[in-house]
Amino acid sequence: MAQTEISPVEPETLVPFEEDHARQTNTGVSNNKLAIWVFIASESLFFGAFLATYFLYRGRDAQFLKGPTPSQLLNIPFTSVTSFMLLMSSLSMVLALAAIQRGDHRRFRIWLLATVIFGMSFIGGQVYEFTEFYREGLHLSTNMFGTTFYVLTGLHGTHVVVGIVWLMSIWIRSMQGKIGAERHEAVEIAGLYWHFVDVVWIVIFTAVYLIPQH
Amino acid sequence: MSESETPGTAIAVADDSTGREVAVANAHVAVGEEFHGHPTPRQYVLIAVVLVVVTGVEIAVSYLNTGHTNLVIVALFLMAALKFALVCAWYMHMRTDQPFFRRVFVTGILLACFVYGIVLLVFSSTVLKS
Repeated sequence: MAQTEISPVEPETLVPFEEDHARQTNTGVSNNKLAIWVFIASESLFFGAFLATYFLYRGRDAQFLKGPTPSQLLNIPFTSVTSFMLLMSSLSMVLALAAIQRGDHRRFRIWLLATVIFGMSFIGGQVYEFTEFYREGLHLSTNMFGTTFYVLTGLHGTHVVVGIVWLMSIWIRSMQGKIGAERHEAVEIAGLYWHFVDVVWIVIFTAVYLIPQH
Repeated sequence: MSESETPGTAIAVADDSTGREVAVANAHVAVGEEFHGHPTPRQYVLIAVVLVVVTGVEIAVSYLNTGHTNLVIVALFLMAALKFALVCAWYMHMRTDQPFFRRVFVTGILLACFVYGIVLLVFSSTVLKS
């Protein structure tokens, strides 16, 4: 099929891709965005279960503190730095989305890569922290602090790793020229997941690290 | 259709046999125009500054040795809630996106608070009495 370029087209005469797509669904909203919001809502219940378990055992010394105590182990200055990185990754993610929505592919790739690097730094910090705690004698089954801490923060870290892989795949597709401005919804959906992982960490950071410990 | 390398360039591709435009999807992006009421990059940076400042205050408060532990805990959770709300409203675009998405998310959060609130109340007073 031979193609002819017709340029320019008046922007106001055209229906934005995602609005057109939303109109074609039964709900009037984008199915893909609805799916990620439902998934995020279900993830709230998922993380809520592990946070509730942490709070159930917190302060119950007979089960919670047979071994190294949280106050001996937790390094708030170090975790503050990794938390800062995760917050900054949310900023770079929205800047990447804004860039792709403008059709600025160069900045989109830069900000997306920055998000991946921030995410990897956070995971590097978590691996270091887990290694240190293990050396100090806190294992998964040492006490209920170890069990609830490793499971809660480990599951969050797993979500971050999934997010990194997702963002990297978008970055690679962008490098191949497969992510244009009209496909910005794919970036927005990955961004929603990434921001959710960030807000979950906001709660975990306060609950586990900042609340005064034993 | 290949990606548009120039921001805001409107490109339409026509099928020779029908003369109809078959791909005009990226033509709605105008130079310097923000997307459907989304915040500007400057606003995103300002929100990030607020988030960093609140985090700094949180860390400082956690080191306070006032003897009012409950007050410190309430203050820490209020600041966490503020950060949570800022990220949801501005970065996840809950302020400007369709209200239906907001309702789905808030329903999940409220359901989690309700269910695990009951779990904490029931188990902390009976099963795990220390």
